Amino acid sequence: MKNIGTQLAAVALVLATAVGPAYAGKGGSAGLIRSAIQSGSVDAIIAEIERAESLMCGECVDLVAGLLDDERYEVREVAAWWFAKRPALKDAMAQQFVVELASGDTIQTRNAADFLGRTKTYTALPALRVAIGRQLGAEAKVAIVRAVELMGHKDGVPVLTTALGDADATVRAAAVKAWREIRGQRTAAPIVPLLADPDAKVRAHAATVVGALREQSGRAQLEVIVTSDADPFARRNAAWALGRLGQAASREALTRATSDESGLVRMVAKAALASLR
Amino acid sequence: MKHHLKSLAIGTALVTATTSVGCSGDDSSTGPLGDVDALIILQRPKRNDGGDIFTYTSYLPGARLVKLEPPTADGVKTTLCCDQAGAEFANIDISGYDISFDAKQIVFSGKLAADQTYGLFLLTIDTGEVVQIPTDPGRDYTSPIFLPGDKIMFTTSSVVEEGAPQHRDEYERRVTLQLGRINLDGTGEELGPRNLSHRTFPTLTSDGRVMFTNWDHIGPMNAGHLLFVDQDMQNLREAFGKEGTGASNSTLKPREIAPGRFVGIATSRDRTLQAGALIDIRLGEVATDDKGNVVANRRMSEATASYRDLTPDVPRGREPSAETVGRYYDAFPLNAKDKPDLLVSWADGPVESGVLGAAGLAANFGVYLYDTERQQRRPILDDPEMWDVFPRPLKTRSAPPITGSAVDTSLGGKTLIGAMNVYQSTLKEFEPGSIWGVRVTEGFSSEEGFPEMFGSTMFEGMATLGVAKVRADGSWLATVPANVPVRVQAVDTFGMSLFSEPVWFSGRPGESRVCGGCHEDRAASQVIDPGITDAAAFGPDDLKGSVPREMRKSDVFTRDAIVGVAWDKAIQPIFDAKCVSCHDGVPGPANPSYTVTDRDGNSITWTFDLRGDRLPAEWAELGGESAFTRSYLSMAGLDMEAVDEGDLMITGDYKVYLNPEDARSSIAIKLLNPVQQWPTQDPSVRAFPTTPHMQGRGTDLTPDEFYALILAADNGVSFFARENNPGDQSYTD
Repeated sequence: MKNIGTQLAAVALVLATAVGPAYAGKGGSAGLIRSAIQSGSVDAIIAEIERAESLMCGECVDLVAGLLDDERYEVREVAAWWFAKRPALKDAMAQQFVVELASGDTIQTRNAADFLGRTKTYTALPALRVAIGRQLGAEAKVAIVRAVELMGHKDGVPVLTTALGDADATVRAAAVKAWREIRGQRTAAPIVPLLADPDAKVRAHAATVVGALREQSGRAQLEVIVTSDADPFARRNAAWALGRLGQAASREALTRATSDESGLVRMVAKAALASLR
Repeated sequence: MKHHLKSLAIGTALVTATTSVGCSGDDSSTGPLGDVDALIILQRPKRNDGGDIFTYTSYLPGARLVKLEPPTADGVKTTLCCDQAGAEFANIDISGYDISFDAKQIVFSGKLAADQTYGLFLLTIDTGEVVQIPTDPGRDYTSPIFLPGDKIMFTTSSVVEEGAPQHRDEYERRVTLQLGRINLDGTGEELGPRNLSHRTFPTLTSDGRVMFTNWDHIGPMNAGHLLFVDQDMQNLREAFGKEGTGASNSTLKPREIAPGRFVGIATSRDRTLQAGALIDIRLGEVATDDKGNVVANRRMSEATASYRDLTPDVPRGREPSAETVGRYYDAFPLNAKDKPDLLVSWADGPVESGVLGAAGLAANFGVYLYDTERQQRRPILDDPEMWDVFPRPLKTRSAPPITGSAVDTSLGGKTLIGAMNVYQSTLKEFEPGSIWGVRVTEGFSSEEGFPEMFGSTMFEGMATLGVAKVRADGSWLATVPANVPVRVQAVDTFGMSLFSEPVWFSGRPGESRVCGGCHEDRAASQVIDPGITDAAAFGPDDLKGSVPREMRKSDVFTRDAIVGVAWDKAIQPIFDAKCVSCHDGVPGPANPSYTVTDRDGNSITWTFDLRGDRLPAEWAELGGESAFTRSYLSMAGLDMEAVDEGDLMITGDYKVYLNPEDARSSIAIKLLNPVQQWPTQDPSVRAFPTTPHMQGRGTDLTPDEFYALILAADNGVSFFARENNPGDQSYTD
């Protein structure tokens, strides 16, 4: 499912602004971009898009707009970055993408969210807050969360709060991870329940965030994880987090963790013990 | 095309294989590797996604650390890590490592899965045990090196200022790396003061300092230079690359050959897979000892540094390298001869990410012994499926002295900066008595919520911390926030910059960074009159040293209160009140016009206009950002990179009225003829002997308004500042 309407709008705008093909500057050109796209190589595409950072050409807009639908995130990301350098085009496309947040299918919504996030289109935050509540596939919801993470804006917190309760673990994990990237974030209290999540990756990310934000209410569950979680990454992150919390009550749990079977955990637990008050 | 390139690669490999025969039969007891029993080599699955020199998140499972014993092409290869370390390590990628001084341990940076970050690990060579060193699991830690005193230095995306976002690099769009260190037992993690962009590839030198690549990005400067820092991350000093002595846009992965002498990679910022030509850098006067070792540690300074190109055919830019020429990923010196022998990682063919990607290929780095005198490579190890990189002799080495400086607790967590005599400079000749003070400006990037561009001029976000007074003897001192990148400008009594230091620097809490002058001769001693400097006697000026980041912005834009020059808030009101009655976009003598024409003959015309309306769409493309206003475009001019890239032609009366970092030469400032700001604001004292523009035309600017306009220019003519940050506004329904 392609975001065709958005691409057409972009091409129409660039034609209206009357800037034709160009080949100067760093040597970028529409031809090189086309060749890179035809090669199918992510690295070649990124290299040519970056080279065309400031290149003004209608044909380039058409080509790069097509990449906003690419299946590969890295390609969509660099295409959005390219548009972010072209403010009028970016604004026009953002308007279309905001519409697609409300009505697009999973892939369209994913692509829209990735564009809006990468271009830091803060005016899309209300639409993102609505979109996270739609019946969409996990791919779209992860992209919505990723957009909020890239913006880092406090008005994206409701998106994350909704995503924390999603049925899909990949969405919950993405939301947990994004939580600490919100500028000025002070609390991890909403993350603490995720320390008991059935998914190990969610627990591991939650432990990191609880530790990073020194959320003291997570201590007891972190001690449970560090001593009995089946996942070594979760145990490691819990040990690190308990060191950040620094409460003497964690001494017993961390002492047990110093003889953990995993090399990921032992030294982390020892160092955490040294951090306790 | 794809098939053809692959054939070429195979053909080259065959040539290499043919020339490699001699190596395995070498008498290794007498050659450059004669005292080396084994090599450690990092093998990473081949890839093509690390084109940019600061890329650190590339991940492909299957990396390993191997030992090659003896260090010859027919040596026995043993995997040291991490096939025996447990299931968690099954999919590890390793990006860098270092061998301990006693050659018993290896510290490495590893990533265990796609959803993990790069962390630090410690391998005990004898037992094969691998343990993770505790670091923030949500942040990357790379390029570890052993320091004396049982410490490890590393680079990390973790941020020293708790709660603040890490700086982002404008160009390659990623969270920047900064320096840090930690005790070998995992305790005592310390994060160093921040650069505005990346710091990467630290290496320990024999005098105990650490050299690393610093990405210098201030306005039009975009380059990776070598810097020194002490092991405690204090005492930052330039080493190589600026002042016209560099060999390329970027110098990276330096390794000490001998005191004052380094081998490094000279290359472009992007597309080169962090590989390039090999250069022999000499920081000071070159001397040869009685053993034939060449050193360069006398009178070391960036201004007098030199280099020798060890691989003349290898491109130092981003262009694809030729067949049989290739590029070098790293080098390790085996001796200090005038033309040293090196262990190198080298790949043949077009080592350029775009060309390789389009051909469906990846560079194939292998390990070679490189004779720089004969410019000959002899293969040691080349697994065609792996990048064989960072070859290092497995042997003990002497630990250098511990370097560091005292921390002044009386500074209360602030950093003290200053100079003994600001008039001492190798970059600018100042008129005696011309400098009133030194303006200190904080830098930040888009991580605080800004769009890609702060303005059309490529400058970063800036917040003026204040002006420290230069005393009678030329000295000045100021306390500034620790860990924050700052830039200094010498300013005159009108508040205009006389010279801008072209770098960001920063200091740790309690660090004293007092220089001899304003970029003084680094190889000379600074002599001051008996006793202390005047600035020390007066005490430092406090330039928001204790003010939290979120408070470092202004509510009013007076001379003493202005911090950021938010165009629409600090400048537009001046234009609205005093300028737009004439400069309203109506073509005429007061509003000159120019036309931009593309190659197809399409054209658009701009007329000078100081109103605050947002730019029309077609001009936003050339002006840099749709939030920018008519007055901004009129004063700052076009995004010249867009003009160059678009091959656009400008005709008519095109002028830039405010020059970045140069208010003094700006047309608008000269026309308006600003008034004295210090020691007191005095409208009767003008900067230039010309008639002020406003005389007979309307109400003159106030001294505060003059200063705001001057600061707009001297801070880079940006549109955005913290005071108008779109990321700080509310976006509720």
